[in-house]
Amino acid sequence: MIKLEAAHIEEVRGIRRLDIDFDRTNFAISGPNGSGKSGVIDAIEFGLTGDIGRLSGRGTKGLSVAQHGPHVDMVDFPDAAYVRLSVFIPSLNKKATITRKVAAPSKPTIVPNDPDVKAVLEELSEHPEITLARRDILRFILVEPSKRSEEIQTILKLEEIGQTRAALHGAQNKLTNALKSATGLVAASRSTLQRHLGIETNSVPDLLKAVNERRMVLQLPAIAEFTQDTRLDAGIADPGQAPPFNKTTALRDLAALDDATVNIALIVAGDSASIQSGIERLERDPALLSSLQRRVLIEKGLALVDGAECPLCDHRWPDEAHLLEHLRGKMSKSEDAGVLQHQLLRHGAAIGSQVDGLLVLLRQAHRIAKGENDDASLTAINEWGKDLGALKMQLGTFDGLIGLKDRLEADWHAVPAALADNLNALRRAVEARPDQSAAVEAQTFLSTAQLRLEDYRAATRTEATAKSASVVAKIAYEEYCRAMEDELNALYADIQAEFSDYYRMINEDDEAAFTAELKPSEGKVDLKVNFYERGLYPPAAYHSEGHQDGMGVCLYLALMKRLFGKEFTIALLDDVVMSVDSDHRRQFCRLLKAQFPDTQFVITTHDRLWAQQMRSEGLVSAKTSMLFYGWSVDSGPLVEAASDVWEDISSALAKGKVETAAAALRRHLEYLAWVLADELSARPTFHADGKYELGELMPAVLSRSKELYVKAWDAAQSWGNEAAKVAIAERKATLAAASQASNVEQWAVNPAVHFNAWANFGQKDFEPVVAAFQDLVRTLRCPDCEGWVHPSPRGKPESLRCDCMSVNFNLTAKPR
Amino acid sequence: MASLQQQIAEKFLAALVEREEIDPAQIAELRQLLGRGKKPKADDFTQVFTTPRGGVVK
Repeated sequence: MIKLEAAHIEEVRGIRRLDIDFDRTNFAISGPNGSGKSGVIDAIEFGLTGDIGRLSGRGTKGLSVAQHGPHVDMVDFPDAAYVRLSVFIPSLNKKATITRKVAAPSKPTIVPNDPDVKAVLEELSEHPEITLARRDILRFILVEPSKRSEEIQTILKLEEIGQTRAALHGAQNKLTNALKSATGLVAASRSTLQRHLGIETNSVPDLLKAVNERRMVLQLPAIAEFTQDTRLDAGIADPGQAPPFNKTTALRDLAALDDATVNIALIVAGDSASIQSGIERLERDPALLSSLQRRVLIEKGLALVDGAECPLCDHRWPDEAHLLEHLRGKMSKSEDAGVLQHQLLRHGAAIGSQVDGLLVLLRQAHRIAKGENDDASLTAINEWGKDLGALKMQLGTFDGLIGLKDRLEADWHAVPAALADNLNALRRAVEARPDQSAAVEAQTFLSTAQLRLEDYRAATRTEATAKSASVVAKIAYEEYCRAMEDELNALYADIQAEFSDYYRMINEDDEAAFTAELKPSEGKVDLKVNFYERGLYPPAAYHSEGHQDGMGVCLYLALMKRLFGKEFTIALLDDVVMSVDSDHRRQFCRLLKAQFPDTQFVITTHDRLWAQQMRSEGLVSAKTSMLFYGWSVDSGPLVEAASDVWEDISSALAKGKVETAAAALRRHLEYLAWVLADELSARPTFHADGKYELGELMPAVLSRSKELYVKAWDAAQSWGNEAAKVAIAERKATLAAASQASNVEQWAVNPAVHFNAWANFGQKDFEPVVAAFQDLVRTLRCPDCEGWVHPSPRGKPESLRCDCMSVNFNLTAKPR
Repeated sequence: MASLQQQIAEKFLAALVEREEIDPAQIAELRQLLGRGKKPKADDFTQVFTTPRGGVVK
């Protein structure tokens, strides 16, 4: 996406004011613990994303960018804390600057404010994974498979896929419930029709027999064939009128209501008992109840999320993804509660379906009461109808179900006493009606049959539509899951292959046959790695911490490559290989150079040796390295910069600050001595703690330099190469003179010239010391490329040369 | 940037084309839903699945 050109950091984290020139290339920042290296990473991350992972990830409760982003002396002045990054956008071939203040992290100033530039930077801001720290590595390697799945899915921004799947599943559930409801209505309307017709089965012959018997009474032609368009009341005048009273049907309807209120108890007994048992469990376990109630609330919140603001508390999150992750995290803690919730709602729905049936019958009773002008019955029926309607609503929600324990224990299905009396009176009133003449009975029978048939047909059509929708929803969900599984399997297979390749590159000396298995299954991602071809095991089973660190970085690189492809142009690696040993880190440099030539890595390390390895392997150069040699609250990182250290020393001396100049010279020489000792493969006296001081390293460096020149001269002599002999002799003499002037070889025996004594020198005494070491350092470099003259290749050197080959002396003598 | 979501969506829609139970009008609506850049909700899908065959009168 972008490459960094430069950064200006002011009052952010531990940094007061710092300018870094990245030059769109790899950059290394080294220094001891607490020198501010991670602060630079924090600042860049903040500049690009508006967030700082160290202050907002897991385990950072109580920390925030607002409070802890500014330098500690500027907490009350967040406006003073800002980062300005100059970037290059390769895809647009454009440069831009992005300035972001801690006081307004979500409102950066972008110049130029072009839509395409803003789009790239906006997209980048949604990818905090460009920063990798060691704590992040642990997320991939050491966590359990289900967590690893979440971590990888987060880094690959797969939550959107999960959301789509969840939405499809939600639609399937809704339409399945709608189908159940529609099927229930079909059964109820069929039952109503059959009851009216007086037939036991839904067969056409039975229907036609009952209908044609009445049609014969009215001397209407019999219906021979029953089709979708058949009208049972065909030939009767005004068929569209409201159905006249049919005594037989009315009595049957009232009897059906009586039967239903009796039979329902047995039908719902199991579901009622289950709900009551669930409620009792919640009463015994208040924590479970609380968990369930929170879950219900969070479910509502999740359904309402539309942006970075929480719909429950209005709190603004960095972005919607953070908010969703937070809410889902809370949901995942209440899985047990979720299972119970699902069971309760299922039983509630079953009872609700029976309540629907009662309501259908009650509507018939209402019609009869209306026909009899029985206001008392109408009122009582309406009241019970409302009560059953409210019960149906309660049965559909968790909160409603919780309050139903007493009601379910009682006979909720029994007709209320007052209504029972009304219905008895209504039945007697209907019975008292004179029997209808055969013609009237036949006419009302056919009109009512037609209306009930129409209701049944409508319910059947609704059910067919609901069934079709339910089938479509089911197919859609299954096909989406299949597509998702296939693509994720392919994704993980790719990542597995690349991860294994990268790890083998780093460990080619001892694990050249390494393989890994990254296996997704049911929301988990299992990672197993081959241990010396003894089998596949979890990484922590047999591999060392250093190897695990290496695995973490390799997996990260494989994921980033998969996520960004060619757009993987920047990554910030914050001390990620601290446990990896020297040889493997060298290989790591080679991996980054070979496999990610177009990616700009900004790498921090506390390990000076690795900082030097990055340079010697060509991953970074002297210009693209920065050394912090300390930190103070007032100054921030103390930067060692090779290019102007001599100017700093001269400047300090000019002001009479010998102590400052001496300290700067000593630090610089300590740094150079480390670098040169590595370059030359110098051999100071070994001690196990690995801590070598300037007094041990510099003499060893000079001794080794001389040894190499002697060897080069001997080789030139053996080949009869006079020109080389002259050049070597000249460099050797220059080195000898500079070495003598520096008094390095006198440090062991003459305290007066030892570097510990420098701080006590006067200005005039110290100036020659500075000049001597500046000269000494110069003699160890090539005059053209300014690179160190070093033996090459490592291990078995064949030449003494510089990077540009202007200095190039053979070290191999002619065979005798 | 990663187009895994797009790849899955395309594979999904291609699979639906092969299913005679799914109306082409519904597939067209799903394509629009998945390509509009906003996260689809359950109600959005419900509306598509209840669209009658051949679409609705507009």
